[in-house]
Amino acid sequence: MDEITNANTYQKGLFEKLRKSVSLKKEEECIACLIKPAAWWTIEKPNPKLADLKKLVSCSCPHYKASSAGKDTGCIKIIYKVIQKARETKALTKFACVHNLHGFIYPIMNEGTLYGYIGSCYKKRDVTPEVLEIFATFTDTLVREIQKELELAKLYETVRPRAIALSTVHTVHRLISSTLDLTELIPRIARLSLQIMRANRCSIKLVDSKRKILLPKATVDLRKKNVMLKKVKVGRHAPGRAFKYGRPIRGRDYLAVPLIDEDTIGVITVYDKIDRKPFTQFDQEIISTLAEQAVIAIKNAQLYKEQERITMGSIKSLAKVLDTRAPGTYVPRASFLKIALLIGQEMHLDIENMKSLEYAAILHDAGEIVVPYELLTKPSKLTSKEYELVKSHPMAGVELIKHMKVLKSVTPIILYHHENYDGTGYPKGLKKEQIPIGARIMAVVGAFEAMITKRTYRSVRKISDAIEEVKKNSGTQFDPKVVSVFLRVINRKDVQQALEKELYGH
Amino acid sequence: MDINRIFKSDIHIKILKFFHENQASIDTPRGVATWIGEERGKVKTALEDLVNAKILVAHRATSTTGYSYTNDDKIISKVKKLLKSKESS
Repeated sequence: MDEITNANTYQKGLFEKLRKSVSLKKEEECIACLIKPAAWWTIEKPNPKLADLKKLVSCSCPHYKASSAGKDTGCIKIIYKVIQKARETKALTKFACVHNLHGFIYPIMNEGTLYGYIGSCYKKRDVTPEVLEIFATFTDTLVREIQKELELAKLYETVRPRAIALSTVHTVHRLISSTLDLTELIPRIARLSLQIMRANRCSIKLVDSKRKILLPKATVDLRKKNVMLKKVKVGRHAPGRAFKYGRPIRGRDYLAVPLIDEDTIGVITVYDKIDRKPFTQFDQEIISTLAEQAVIAIKNAQLYKEQERITMGSIKSLAKVLDTRAPGTYVPRASFLKIALLIGQEMHLDIENMKSLEYAAILHDAGEIVVPYELLTKPSKLTSKEYELVKSHPMAGVELIKHMKVLKSVTPIILYHHENYDGTGYPKGLKKEQIPIGARIMAVVGAFEAMITKRTYRSVRKISDAIEEVKKNSGTQFDPKVVSVFLRVINRKDVQQALEKELYGH
Repeated sequence: MDINRIFKSDIHIKILKFFHENQASIDTPRGVATWIGEERGKVKTALEDLVNAKILVAHRATSTTGYSYTNDDKIISKVKKLLKSKESS
């Protein structure tokens, strides 16, 4: 059926272009000059009926009009027979009509298929073979050109929508591959699915295999601001069935597609198309392609999260080991971590720098493992030799973590967190912006922490005193910009509460 | 930029026509520039104008921004009407 429709469309297009063709008109005029007067007609069917021919000839042949007033069909019958002959021979065929006038029929062909004919009659003289050859060659060239044009137009119509769809798939892939944060990724996939499906609602659920339940991770509904996140049992409703059977489940107003990698991890379901039309097979194919990309992005983000958990676990274990030397010194306190991260956030650090800051907040003094415990807890002033040993701890910290590639970006913070803003710090005496931003933040937070937490070698300061000390050293020991952000952060009610709870237990 | 001003600019109309004809499409400035045969820089600016006019939606990520057509029925029918009047004029 499609082939017939395509052939009909092609035939229609071919004759439409022939009718409009300026070149063909000129050719007809040229031929007419040689064999005047001439009448022309195009027969847009390979098997025309007598009635079709009568209509055509009666319109274009003045002799026919004048002599028979449409009653004499002898002439038409001759043309009809000639057309049958031309159809068989697939070649230009000449004829002479009842009025002893000459004419010819030329079949229009493409790759062995006959589409129709160009005919001419009302010629008082017979047409010479040379003229006919010129006509045939010219017409063939013209038909071939039109055929090429039609094929190009058809190609454009077929390829363009697919190319646009492919480009959409590529853009979606780029958009969902650019984040490894699951809390950002899953709502993004939901929004993109809505857009591609032109649907009103999309829900993404991931499986909790132990409980055989699908947990809602993101639901976007264009009609509502607040949406209910619903759990679904495996096997129940469209998402549950799509998950259970591992194939799309499509209804008039819903389409659920499983997220399958090596195993099925969840389901994307879209509901209610904006134009209220039912979901189609094409929709199913498009959302399935998106699901294939989504599952890879989700798996990558899950793996990244897992790797982060492992890294954080290793760092915390390392801190725990170090803490056995001086209990309470190395195990991170949540409130100081919070202060460091809030400063980083306010200073617009990117995700990678924030992560490095978080790790460095735990590990910045790990290198003190090379400093004898007696030295770290010595209440009296250190000798210059002893001080040199203490000053080696940032480098020792770097040595300690250098084999953990994942902590590569943390090393500058650890190495330079004892540099002073005015260049009087160690190990390199770096100044101002030469000191990495993470290290400048860590310098403030580390010093503040050391002042207000318990140390065996000196007394604890009050929070307010420690803040004053930080302020006093702004511009010399510390970066004034960091100090200014620190002062804003430290005055936050939630930070104050977290500090007091952790330090004083209330 | 209001919708009537947008309809005085050829590049904006080309973009609108593209998204109106391909409503499920999401594409980058480079992609849209290819489909409508215009320079990328100009297309990027026009795309942002259309986002501000709430005709397009921007899906921003670190690596790129994808643009798609609005889901708002009213805006879509307004654009349809304006594109039709533009074609007939």
